[in-house]
Amino acid sequence: MSLVQGAHRETSPPAGARANLLAWPEFNQPAVWVVAAILLIMPFIASGFFLIEIFATTLILGTIALSLMFLAGYGGMVSLMQLTVAGFAAYMVAVFGMSANTNISLGWPWWLATPMALVLATIFGTLGGTLAVRTEGIYTIMITLAIGAAFYYFTNQNWAIFGGHTGINTIATPKFWGVDWRSDVPYYYVTLGVAAFCYFAVQYVSRAPFGLALQGVRDNPRRMAALGFNVNAHRVAAYAFASFIAALGGVLQVWNYRQISPGSVSVGACIDILIIAVVGGITRPIGPFIGAFIFVILRTFALDLLVKFGLDGNRFRLLIGLGFLAIVFWSSDGVIGLWERWRRRAADTHTRPSGGHGHG
Amino acid sequence: MDSAAPRFSAVGSGAALELRGVTRLFGALAALTDVTITVRPGERRAVLGSNGAGKTTLFNCVTGDFPPSSGTIRFFGEDITHFPPYERIRRGLRRTYQISALFPGLTVRDNVYLACRGVSRGRFSPLRPGANDALMHAAEALIQAVHLTPVREQLVAELAHGQQRQLEIALALAGAPRFILFDEPAAGLSPTERRELIEILTSLPAHIGYIIIEHDMDVALRVVESVTMMHNGRIFKEGLPHEIEADPEVQELYLGAGHE
Amino acid sequence: MTRFIERHPAWALILLIAVAVMLWLILAVWPPGLEEAIGRKRVFLNAVFNGITLGSLYFLVASGFTLIFGLMRNVNLAHGSLYLFGGYIGYAISVWTGSWVLGFIVAFIGVALVGVVLQIVVFRRMEGQDLRQTMVTIGLSIVFADLMLWVFGGDFYQIQTPNWLVGPIELPLVTALKSSGEAVYLRYPMVRLVIFVAAVVIGIAMWLALNRTRVGMMVRAGVDDRDMLAATGVPIQLVFVVVFALGAGLAGIAGVVGGTFQSISPGEDTRFLLASLVVVIVGGMGSIPGAALGAVIIGLAEQLGSVYIPTYAIVVTFLIMVLVLALRPQGLLARR
Repeated sequence: MSLVQGAHRETSPPAGARANLLAWPEFNQPAVWVVAAILLIMPFIASGFFLIEIFATTLILGTIALSLMFLAGYGGMVSLMQLTVAGFAAYMVAVFGMSANTNISLGWPWWLATPMALVLATIFGTLGGTLAVRTEGIYTIMITLAIGAAFYYFTNQNWAIFGGHTGINTIATPKFWGVDWRSDVPYYYVTLGVAAFCYFAVQYVSRAPFGLALQGVRDNPRRMAALGFNVNAHRVAAYAFASFIAALGGVLQVWNYRQISPGSVSVGACIDILIIAVVGGITRPIGPFIGAFIFVILRTFALDLLVKFGLDGNRFRLLIGLGFLAIVFWSSDGVIGLWERWRRRAADTHTRPSGGHGHG
Repeated sequence: MDSAAPRFSAVGSGAALELRGVTRLFGALAALTDVTITVRPGERRAVLGSNGAGKTTLFNCVTGDFPPSSGTIRFFGEDITHFPPYERIRRGLRRTYQISALFPGLTVRDNVYLACRGVSRGRFSPLRPGANDALMHAAEALIQAVHLTPVREQLVAELAHGQQRQLEIALALAGAPRFILFDEPAAGLSPTERRELIEILTSLPAHIGYIIIEHDMDVALRVVESVTMMHNGRIFKEGLPHEIEADPEVQELYLGAGHE
Repeated sequence: MTRFIERHPAWALILLIAVAVMLWLILAVWPPGLEEAIGRKRVFLNAVFNGITLGSLYFLVASGFTLIFGLMRNVNLAHGSLYLFGGYIGYAISVWTGSWVLGFIVAFIGVALVGVVLQIVVFRRMEGQDLRQTMVTIGLSIVFADLMLWVFGGDFYQIQTPNWLVGPIELPLVTALKSSGEAVYLRYPMVRLVIFVAAVVIGIAMWLALNRTRVGMMVRAGVDDRDMLAATGVPIQLVFVVVFALGAGLAGIAGVVGGTFQSISPGEDTRFLLASLVVVIVGGMGSIPGAALGAVIIGLAEQLGSVYIPTYAIVVTFLIMVLVLALRPQGLLARR
């Protein structure tokens, strides 16, 4: 066999061999730089409405869906409670920070309330994960969905902390260094910064021992245990990491809307996050952001679009549902998968004539 | 290599692996019944037996994939009967699987790197390995030892069967193994690959003992110094290779059936 | 049963005591001290009966869900939509014909047909890909929910209880003693009791069908080991279609029951999907007796919780699920 003969000649690995572990392959593509540049100068292109309602919202939903992508894509755990974790963080910002509901909010300054919210939401998500890893595979969906639903009904019932079904309103947002960070342009940059941080963190960790081991757990948990890994501990750690990302998204969301109510953590909203991640593609961190962009565009413009085609403008959910079904039917990897398949086919037809020569 | 050994100094008998009355039930079915085996450190032993004799179940009990229903297992003197699998592996126990149990979505090197990482610190490290990462070098060395260097960047799913079997062995050699369980490592290999396998097994450091399940007597008897014969979940015979080979009962039970 | 007592004597004892206390609370005339401590017995009895009858509704929904899951490993997250659809059909038929019973029959057949179409057109194509199937059911639930909202609007519908079932019935359970020493008996809505009995009958019929008929044996064999079932040459696709139809039909019936007990409206699909999830997680996946036990536990927890600790009722349900997952992750009555 060829592998045996070749083996002894190469005594040390070539320099390039380690490159993909150390470097960022994404930076080698010009498209990435173009997208980054566009995102950075976006405030000079887009008006306030587009900047916040389209782009900032995309980045927030993308960040929350990214946490699901990390769990599902690398860990094989489809968690439907990622929005719940984000919502929990949002509630905690409202509870510890300042709001119009003075009987609930403790009135801490934002720089205390925000870390507190992040820590508590991470703990919350980790505990949920600890519960979910008691079983495997398809059961994860059921348990995390039940956790999400329980939290939704609980926020509806509980008035002392969560403000019942009216929620908590007029939540204070950070103002310091003479900047109102909730005004459109600074807020957009904060959102972009957080989303970029999360994106690169996931990208980076996926090639670090922790992320690599998580992918091993996804592929073959029993073998991972036979290599010395505590599989469940790894899964719980993945939930902790993902919960922190989801919590960051939740904090951004509550700063955006300045209010939080059970409607924001409803079961439908939990499922929207799954839709976003799946439509975008759950094998790579960019997928959730693409999915979020499509989702936000559809949600914002579906009404006009449907009316233009002579349909009832209220049928947005129908459109989302059918689109989701179509993606699940035709691509196992969302629009990224579709796009890659299309590109490969294009490349195939392009190279086929010359390829024939090479083999001949 | 054996720097880890003094940390777990043997208590008691000084055996590497000691099973006492190990029984494993699946419902009402007994896959293993009252198995008692003692293997010295550095000893190399074959386990023979027909399908369903309980060989792989024996491995599963030792590694903790399925814990025994009753009985005790000691590893270098330490009672590991109730340890989770990963604790056993971290103490120097290794195994390979009969049907390759690898990570098809990862590259060869990532597979071996994971094996090295699993038995060292920093399993949860969120930092990517640097250019001079010791474990990465260890992984490269292992890949070379099993002759997989040319394909180390490939996804495991793309490897040929023989290469996957070699990778299985590389995973079991990671870190500082003290005792290895090989589950039919030669299954499906070509004659050339078998020779390579024998070479790898015989060139293992002398302090590393192993148990090998192997149907191919030519392979098995060349790499072991003792043989245990199993039948219907029980120990049937134990002895030196030539004794077992010459034993009429064994021939009737196993070798005869094996040559049909 | 005896094996359980042998294995877990402590749990068996705790269970026995709990059942005994419950029976005493239901049957005995409460001493005055107890009434002062936790309120009147009539309230308690009503909560218990509501819990058990709600449990029977949960059982109808969850048994179909667990049957489909057990055999086909299909987590049908559109099960709530089937429930809601059954409710709407039942409402339409009972308004149109004036017959409550006919509503049940048409709802069963109609929703079962939807199940057949789903199994043949959708799920058969992705057999063995449980994650993808689950995704599809999520998509379907969204589409169905919006279609039903389109047709039926956002209104609440209540299915009229037929005359012969209207009104309460007096049960031989003493709620209190009047000062004259005369016993006051519990009065409870007739329709709820009838439905409870019907659910028990359906449950027993299912159990018998699964344990005493040839098709049932096949289904059970398939739950334990699907490959083996396929290997025996059974027309497995046919078994799948029958089971899916039955499971969906049960959800349809449950929809009519739910429309009679409570009401049907958008959002009820999610509520009953979640109830099924929790019931099945607690009772054990793929187990019909598990679904029955889980349904009664969750129904009781919900009703007793909403009476005695109103703001934390949902937490009780959730804690039960957590407890089961922590102690017996496969569910109370799962065989595995």
